[in-house]
Amino acid sequence: MKRIILFLSCCLWVAPQVSSAQQASVKATKDKAKKIAWHGTWKGGLAEAKRTGKPIMLVSAAPQCHSVPGVW
Amino acid sequence: MDRSFLADKDVIAASHKFVCIRLATYENAEENEVLKGFFARGGNLENTVFTLLTPDGKTKLVTAGRSPAWAFGGVRGPGINAQPEESIKKMGQTMEAIALAYPGKGKAAQGLPSLPYLADLRLALNVAAADRQPLVVVYSDNVNQRKKMEKELSKVAWSEQFIGVAQYVPVSDASEFKSVKSLEATSGFVVVQPGTFGLTGEVIEVIDASTLAAKISGLLAEALGKHKPSQLTYEQHRQAGSQAGARWKSATPNTDGLSRRGGGRRPRR
Repeated sequence: MKRIILFLSCCLWVAPQVSSAQQASVKATKDKAKKIAWHGTWKGGLAEAKRTGKPIMLVSAAPQCHSVPGVW
Repeated sequence: MDRSFLADKDVIAASHKFVCIRLATYENAEENEVLKGFFARGGNLENTVFTLLTPDGKTKLVTAGRSPAWAFGGVRGPGINAQPEESIKKMGQTMEAIALAYPGKGKAAQGLPSLPYLADLRLALNVAAADRQPLVVVYSDNVNQRKKMEKELSKVAWSEQFIGVAQYVPVSDASEFKSVKSLEATSGFVVVQPGTFGLTGEVIEVIDASTLAAKISGLLAEALGKHKPSQLTYEQHRQAGSQAGARWKSATPNTDGLSRRGGGRRPRR
């Protein structure tokens, strides 16, 4: 747990430091990126993360509101 | 679901350095357990979960919670669509920093990227309606044919033009299409217009199963262009759905709020 907190602290400290260095590459992809492509299953997404070695952004939500479907 | 964090252009740009997984809460018992492993106050799975993880899916890299606001600051609560700019910026910066620490295998990664599939057609119609996007069904009762179709479609789905603009689901059995109108083909890339409430669908176009990626691209663009997203606001959608009797029964009990209310409420679906 301590290692995770330390990692997060480093991330948050490093983020502003590296942000200027990253600006060029971020800007290069920014215009291209319009949407997030979501894997819809844990099994499929995890397999893809292991295949690519990329970290995971995990979100979960129920596609209903008071039992009315078709809405997040 | 929190829109403002995930709609930010820097967050979206950073997301392309991640594998993004969005699960439908309460729709799969195994996935419920995975989610509870990351965030479950009082052991109860809540309606929404957010976190960032290592590539093996085992270690949290930020505080898990109901939304990005739990990790990056901001306003907590349902339907919050206007988060502080600094919180959104912090999310984008943190994701970029994590992507530096976990840069991925690049071209050394084995195989083609898999299609970002949903679990089944029933759920896929609902999710596509919720995202106000068309649905692409990879349909064949022949496993080998479906694998070939997936290989060709994958080249297209992850291209700049198509990333994140449609939902995908595999189907092997014609009976799964019972809620989809106008399907006559027995295989193919079936582009579907989901009904407003995601309980039904209507075929927009069927692209032949043997079509190669180079040709799929143009045909798919044309078919996706025929999709007509719902124009209802959130509240209008809810009211219209209630009036129309559109109801969704989740696959597992809804346990949202049990911890905060002392566990006395009966789980609802």
